[in-house]
Amino acid sequence: MAAETKTASITRRAVLTAAAAAGAGFAGGVFTSSADASDSDDGVAIVRQLTRKTPVESDRVHLVMPSKFPNGYTVPLSLEIDSPMTEADHVRQVRVFAPRNPLIEVARFHFVPQRSESRVSTRIRLAEPQYVLAVAEMNDGALLMTKTWVEVATNGCA
Amino acid sequence: MLTPTPRVQVPSVAAKDEIFQVKALISHQMETGLRHDPQGEVIPRKIINKFACRYNDIVVFGVDLHEAMAANPYIEFYLRATESGRLEFIWEEDGGQTYALTHQLTVG
Repeated sequence: MAAETKTASITRRAVLTAAAAAGAGFAGGVFTSSADASDSDDGVAIVRQLTRKTPVESDRVHLVMPSKFPNGYTVPLSLEIDSPMTEADHVRQVRVFAPRNPLIEVARFHFVPQRSESRVSTRIRLAEPQYVLAVAEMNDGALLMTKTWVEVATNGCA
Repeated sequence: MLTPTPRVQVPSVAAKDEIFQVKALISHQMETGLRHDPQGEVIPRKIINKFACRYNDIVVFGVDLHEAMAANPYIEFYLRATESGRLEFIWEEDGGQTYALTHQLTVG
């Protein structure tokens, strides 16, 4: 347990150093809020903290991941948002968050109406069992979100 | 570290308005900046931080990648076949190095 705590603090320090080096104000905000955010499994609160907007849970956002996976290094993730992808009604971007990772933001996918489908698959790292969040920003600015629980047996971020 | 090698799997022919699948992968360690070497020094972050797909010079899909993307980042996405032309895939690495591939698509 002691070793685990030590690893966590080193990681946190590395994170803060990286944030300072990058000198990115927004990124810094995300990093410093990670301690609070990771203490809660309330997806809406975490997303509000990260985006400063209130998301609504929506069944238009489909996030498919295995509920149990042997290692945290390469966990499959598939995303699909129900959208006609027209100029009038489309998904602008989708952000994926892993609140219990040392760095919360995983990826941001940008879609283009009439050109790309709001659908993507990839592989991500997870540090520990947690809810993974997907937040879709629609063209009217609304945030639609969903979350899915993923149990990993090994830390993919160490 | 091995030289990152990008690969894509894309059809060469598609029907007008057909939705086609693109599989894009680059071999890359994706060093997170969270690890330490045996001397206890932080191994600096070096990841692919951006990916973009251009279709006849118009960006039609993009990704911002962070540390939690798996090594050898793999991205599967779907595009609409609008016209014949050139698909360009660009990966950007920390430090500014880029890797790119192009692919010719015929829309009949």
